[in-house]
Amino acid sequence: MQVFKRILKEIEKQKALAAILLMLFMMLFFDTRFYTAYNLLDMLNSAAILEMLAFGVTLVIICGGVDFSIGAMMSLSGIITIKLMDYMPLWAAILAAIACGALVGFVNGFFVVQQKTEPFIITLGMGMLLKGIAQQITDAHPVPAKNLAFMKIANSRLIAGIPNLIVIMIVMLIIFYCILRFTSFGRNCYAIGGDYNVASQSGIKAVKIKWATFVICGAMAAFCGVLLSSKLNTGSSIYGDATALSVNCGCVVGGTSFAGGIGGIPQSFIGLLAIQLLENCMNMLGISAYIQQVCEGIIILLILWVDNYAQKRKSEAV
Amino acid sequence: MTSKSSSDLILSMKHINKAFPGVKALDDVSLEVRRGVVHGIVGENGAGKSTLMKILSGVYTKDSGTIEFDGQTVEATSPMESLRMGLSIIYQEFSLVNSMTVGENIFLGRFREAGGMKGTHQKAKALLDKIGSSIPTHRLVSELSTSEKQMVEIAKALSFQSKLIIMDEPSSSLTEEELAGLGVIINQLREQGISTIYISHKLDEIFEYCDYVTVMRDGHVIDTRPVAELNRKDMVGMMVGRTIENEYPERPHCVGTPLMQVKNLNTRKLHDISFTLNRGEILGLVGLVGAGRTEIVRAIYGADKVKQKEIRIDGKDVKIVSPQDGKKCGMAFVPEDRKQQGLVLPFSVESNISMASLSNLKNGVFLSKGKERKMAENKISELLIKTSSPQTAVVGLSGGNQQKCILGRWLETGPKILILDEPTRGIDVGAKYEIYLLMKKTVEAGSSIILISSELPEVLNMSNRVLTVADGRITGEFDPEKTSAQEIMNRAIG
Amino acid sequence: MNTKERVKTFLQENLVLMTIVILVVATALIEPKFLTVANLGNLMNQFGPLSFVALGMTITIIGGYIDLSVAGIVSLSAVFTISMVDVLGQTGALLAGLAAGALMGLLNALVVVSCGALTQAKALFMTYALSAVYSAAALLYTDGATQHMSHLTSPTTLFKGIGSGKAGFIPVSFLLFFVIMFVLHLFLTRTQTGREVQLTGANITATDMVGVPVKKRVALVYVLSGVLSAFGAIVLFSRITTASPLLGANYETNAILAVVVGGTSLAGGRGSVIRTMLGVMLVTLLSNCLNLLGISTYIQSVCKGIILIIAIWIDRRRTK
Repeated sequence: MQVFKRILKEIEKQKALAAILLMLFMMLFFDTRFYTAYNLLDMLNSAAILEMLAFGVTLVIICGGVDFSIGAMMSLSGIITIKLMDYMPLWAAILAAIACGALVGFVNGFFVVQQKTEPFIITLGMGMLLKGIAQQITDAHPVPAKNLAFMKIANSRLIAGIPNLIVIMIVMLIIFYCILRFTSFGRNCYAIGGDYNVASQSGIKAVKIKWATFVICGAMAAFCGVLLSSKLNTGSSIYGDATALSVNCGCVVGGTSFAGGIGGIPQSFIGLLAIQLLENCMNMLGISAYIQQVCEGIIILLILWVDNYAQKRKSEAV
Repeated sequence: MTSKSSSDLILSMKHINKAFPGVKALDDVSLEVRRGVVHGIVGENGAGKSTLMKILSGVYTKDSGTIEFDGQTVEATSPMESLRMGLSIIYQEFSLVNSMTVGENIFLGRFREAGGMKGTHQKAKALLDKIGSSIPTHRLVSELSTSEKQMVEIAKALSFQSKLIIMDEPSSSLTEEELAGLGVIINQLREQGISTIYISHKLDEIFEYCDYVTVMRDGHVIDTRPVAELNRKDMVGMMVGRTIENEYPERPHCVGTPLMQVKNLNTRKLHDISFTLNRGEILGLVGLVGAGRTEIVRAIYGADKVKQKEIRIDGKDVKIVSPQDGKKCGMAFVPEDRKQQGLVLPFSVESNISMASLSNLKNGVFLSKGKERKMAENKISELLIKTSSPQTAVVGLSGGNQQKCILGRWLETGPKILILDEPTRGIDVGAKYEIYLLMKKTVEAGSSIILISSELPEVLNMSNRVLTVADGRITGEFDPEKTSAQEIMNRAIG
Repeated sequence: MNTKERVKTFLQENLVLMTIVILVVATALIEPKFLTVANLGNLMNQFGPLSFVALGMTITIIGGYIDLSVAGIVSLSAVFTISMVDVLGQTGALLAGLAAGALMGLLNALVVVSCGALTQAKALFMTYALSAVYSAAALLYTDGATQHMSHLTSPTTLFKGIGSGKAGFIPVSFLLFFVIMFVLHLFLTRTQTGREVQLTGANITATDMVGVPVKKRVALVYVLSGVLSAFGAIVLFSRITTASPLLGANYETNAILAVVVGGTSLAGGRGSVIRTMLGVMLVTLLSNCLNLLGISTYIQSVCKGIILIIAIWIDRRRTK
């Protein structure tokens, strides 16, 4: 009985991992096509960009904020890159797009950190704004890229036959992991998210650091946008509509709670992967897109609910 | 007092004054602490102990006076500055980030200084070993017991090479064993030449661990003496003093038959609380902060969840699980935190007064503005609430008048049981007297009052009967007209 | 108070009204077509769906919370109502649609309260996620297809009346809005329950302590928001005679915009539906103005985003 209880507790701690293992296990019975190298690699490839988006957002969430403008930023940056490509070298266009992301992050940070406004609505409004700009620039039509080099960025395999996106994702994963785990910037993020006041009183420059997380997140969203439009070889204003919600919640599933100060890169990675895996499995099983959406919506709702409820239980302990 | 050379002293505070709006927290306070001693500070709630410590640690700024620390005049303007000076303060609620590890908490904000993750945990372990603690540095603070959290805070203080560590009520939530462990550490610190200021109301601990003790009362230092020269009776006497010039109306004497019986009230903090409340009685609850007085009344009113409770009113068992129920049973609750839990600050005086009696203002389906206005005007004149008009936002009123609004609100409901939690806190003397008169009038009209107050004279002068509460239990029942303040305080300290 | 101070205070408190007046005058000068009966009628027409949703949003905000699920409620109630016309007849379908809105509101309240979301911030996430669920449900329900009123066999005169009917030159929808707004205003300012809603929004802890059943009041505001959003949906599809399962897109941000611009503080407690009416007026006028000037809807979207951010920022500074 004791052993059983301990197992349950471990599962509770590693819900996302458990979910993944469960799904992998189930697919053995339902559809072994799942287990082809092609499918698994393909799945990882399509998840790569969203994962990188999650890395950026994880930084913000750990520091106690949220950013819901990432989806719109992603679509806008792809458009900016493609549009600028005609006027300047490719690398300059990409840098310009990333710089825009950093700027947007800076503005977000201003309102949220400096002015202490509610991050959710501000970033939601920002997302609306960015989408409007994206639609205006493209007149709501997808914009094709004409640069072969650009397309190759996300679609070739430079190293050992592994798709570029996966390589880039691994590099980013290592970078962000190291930031959060081994730098004082990262550790201070945990402190700020864990208890803003205690952190400030310990001499940590909370405002500057939290502001910086928004800038990094914005730049990262822009970077992902570049990769996405490279992958699809088009820039469109409809990319990223539902992304913000699913990426943020993917992080929460894995254990990076909106409460702040909890979680990290591995957790967000696994959490988002679990959601991507779920989608992939549902596709394989031929479940209609609409039912998938309902399921995803309900799952996200449950995740947020549990995240809040756990905090409530803690504070109400009789 | 014997004269000391300045090198003997780690801390010298001279003529410190600090006033907040409406109250003088510290009045010409001087305190000297020698190196390598344990110096206790005792005093009732509101004596000024925590204000003094907050000035030392840089949270507040003093109005006047000088502070010399380790031979130099200092002016700490932030907690971090005082830490770097060598002065640490360990608060009752702790300054730790619960979601991070022990090691990282000790070196919070000094990640690079400590040498990264590896260095942090290595150094942290060394510090914990020094105080004989075996807490693994990778454990999350949220998983620690109170005593273990204290160890972490002490290790943190040591990491700053603190020469003076202030501990604010260190023994609350510690078991006897853990307290003994703390005592060992304090002795170790003393041997290393580190002084400890030990703030506590547990007189036994003062006698056990401290070399010197300073007694404070009402923002003054009464005396500082070596512990060996005092006994418990002296100390309590100094803490309580004699009532100076407070004016109280004549105590009401209209106690009647039993009205309410509380039995077996148990929560996480309270243990087997049982008592009776009589009609027309003012029942005072005396105890120190954290003893459980507010918890008791909140549990009775239905504002908190409980493990177990039985309440009988007028001979009938009643079930109270929410403030709605409490109100239906004829209770009224004036909370301690008037701004967050009592008032609706942006709303008018009128709305704040009427909000508990909205059903009486109805004219058919609608609320009658006329009736509401009248209700407010009645209360304003009855209670002498100073406001330019009933429409003024209540946030603009003084503390005393705000409190009167809340009282007016509840008196309008004609309660059988009026619960007052710190009703005169932060209120000027004149308004206080008016509130006392109001209390008297209320019980003379047949209601009962449960009074919680940290001002001992207030409770003792107004109550017909006093219950002492300590550590979540009722430790005694007294008649304040027949028992001395010292005796009651003694039982309240536990 | 001398005249100068009086004028200043009046302007500050009626900023929105002033802006509307300025806008009207400016637009009329730039584009004379603005003041034709046709355009005015057109303007009043635009008052439709958003204004109802904004009313609902105002109530949840006054109650201290917020309802970001309105987009989903609009979509789902629209497709549901149309699908019920042939089954229940038009009145039955109308009532069923409103009931669906109420139920969704109840679900919202349950979710928000049960996980202990005592702050508006937590309610933000939960209702946003609920919107995704309702929208997805709408897609599932219709299998992605747009519902056409013209495909219905039963009479739909009721809906046509709501959507495009006129009394003189005033649209029926505008009249309905006005009546409902008036009733809600009376409710909030003159009834006990309405007062309790305001108190709950201003300080839920203190209001709970005086024995008001705050959880019930929270449920009430969400149910009202649900019903009003459903009604807005009905007005919308009645007008355009079709209901796509994506009908509600962007309604939440537009509604918040109207509420905040109108002057109701996000902090809760204070606020008025009349102010929201002004807010809707301003937002609608702005769109109309920009349209007349030939500015694309996308740039309008950008403007709205900017105004939203600034309005929330100002609101936060005011209540700090």
